[in-house]
Amino acid sequence: MTPPLESLTSCFQGLLPAQLFTCAKDGTPNAAYLSHVEYVDSRHVALSFQFFNKSRRNITENPHALVALVDPDTGQGWRLRLLYVRSETEGPVFDRMALRIEAIASYCGLKGIFRLRAADIYEVLSVDPLPEEPACEARRRQRESLSPVFTLAALQDLSARINRAETLEQLVDSILAGLEASFGFRYSMILVPSEDERTLVTLATRGYDEDGAGAEVRIGEGICGMVAEARKPIRISGLLRGMLYALASQREARGELPRPPIRLPGLPNPESQLGVALLVRGELVGVLCIESEVPYRFHEEDKTTIELLGSYLAIAIQNMQLHERAAEPRTEAHAPASRATGPARRAAAGVRREVVYYNGAECVFVDGEYLIRSLPAKILWRLLNEHQTTGRTEFTNRELRLDRSLNLPEWKDNLESRLILLRRRLEQKCPDIRLAPCGRGRFVLELGCEPVLQTRP
Amino acid sequence: MIDTQLASFLQEGLGIYLGTRDDALRPEGARALAAAIDADGAHVTVYAAEIAAERLRANLESNGQIAVSFARPIDDRACQVKGVCVGIRPASGEERPLIDGQWAAFMRSLDAIGIPSSLAGAWVTWPALAIRLRVTAVFDQTPGPHAGAALE
Repeated sequence: MTPPLESLTSCFQGLLPAQLFTCAKDGTPNAAYLSHVEYVDSRHVALSFQFFNKSRRNITENPHALVALVDPDTGQGWRLRLLYVRSETEGPVFDRMALRIEAIASYCGLKGIFRLRAADIYEVLSVDPLPEEPACEARRRQRESLSPVFTLAALQDLSARINRAETLEQLVDSILAGLEASFGFRYSMILVPSEDERTLVTLATRGYDEDGAGAEVRIGEGICGMVAEARKPIRISGLLRGMLYALASQREARGELPRPPIRLPGLPNPESQLGVALLVRGELVGVLCIESEVPYRFHEEDKTTIELLGSYLAIAIQNMQLHERAAEPRTEAHAPASRATGPARRAAAGVRREVVYYNGAECVFVDGEYLIRSLPAKILWRLLNEHQTTGRTEFTNRELRLDRSLNLPEWKDNLESRLILLRRRLEQKCPDIRLAPCGRGRFVLELGCEPVLQTRP
Repeated sequence: MIDTQLASFLQEGLGIYLGTRDDALRPEGARALAAAIDADGAHVTVYAAEIAAERLRANLESNGQIAVSFARPIDDRACQVKGVCVGIRPASGEERPLIDGQWAAFMRSLDAIGIPSSLAGAWVTWPALAIRLRVTAVFDQTPGPHAGAALE
């Protein structure tokens, strides 16, 4: 009896390379490695067509093919007898395969080289277990004992945590903490679109040695950047990713790839990665990226649940941004300094920090080390200058919004997320300059040092 | 056709597959366990579990066409040998250490790239058949600009 193709889903994740057998018109057989077999429906699979190789030429002459696959969980080998039907250069299957290939390639700085030319669709004529490659019983039992990840109880638990958050900062942290507590995802991060619309900036991370807040990714590059561009989830596991990662590391070591000022955190060699676009009515609120050391952590059905979860999280984030903004005190932009007590704090410190603002690059360096750029840099610079001139220490989000020098858009300025970012970068790199919240829409500049301010071109 | 350097690569314990076809040009394939290259570089003996190789026997006896792909997991160096089958026989007890040695090396290379060799814990490697072929062509299959190029 032929088992249903659905029962082979773990074979279709690309951890173990498959083998493709074809035959030329003249009767010469061909055997070649195949990185990935994509499940299409209960009667069809798709093979990626990236290069004009012998297998591809054979298929155009003779539509019969055979694929050998190994179940990466149990070791059971399978043989699929296939018949080439058509090549697709658009549509959901092509898009899904192209996106994954692009994401992997882009992650490694090889975008455009590993391009999908077509998704070749094959009818599956038969599925047979290979008698010489039976399943390892211990591994089969191990797989059967794994409990499902996305249970209703876990989703409910995450939802309860999110509902308890009172600020955007608490919300993003509780999302990541909830993903670990409710689902066991230890490594995760949330990125949000930056002011220049071409980059994403990391707002919160969890599980990594380095915090990574402020790390930037260009839209369209790497897994997070690809998710933002395509606005679709991307799930990656397996060997190809690992191979290309190694290649990229070598290129970076040789200086062929530029090093970013703040490195995006990540597991050195994750077994699986999942990127989810956080969308509200088509608008990109952010990107959630989850990594796992466990192979096949993310299955096809998980992706659907995570996509749903993504829209729920997106609504929660956007709702919190609107809520925080609406609840801001409507005090004057230049409110009198209610806590103009700077000198006492400054005197206590006695440490001088050289804070330099570069006008051209719109970035701030502290004691010669990169801190942050773009809007958060401009905000910090404005606060420090204001403090130096007037001695003020308490500020409101509203006055920043109304400050024309910061050039915030009138609507959807994402100020709260920029302040979170600035606060986190300061905590990591310059903890003696703090922005401490003191009520909704208000914060205090606390100085444990004496900043020496300089501007440079 | 196969020089000593290439022969030593092909015999170091690689991922090996055998491809054949029937008279209607439908492909058939199976994993192989080990390979031995003749000193003349023109003949290769490939060993596969009997239970797997039996699937190929009818095709090999009918038309003899065979393709053997070799790949090294750690760096994806790969090559394909095309040929014509000139004999099929049971592998002898004296050949078993050669088969076991190459298979063990292949398993170690899987572990080295993070694929647990325990996956193959129940796979059948004995009894084996020895399939001898006369080499007609050798191709580089390492991913990259030279993939598919004929090796002299």
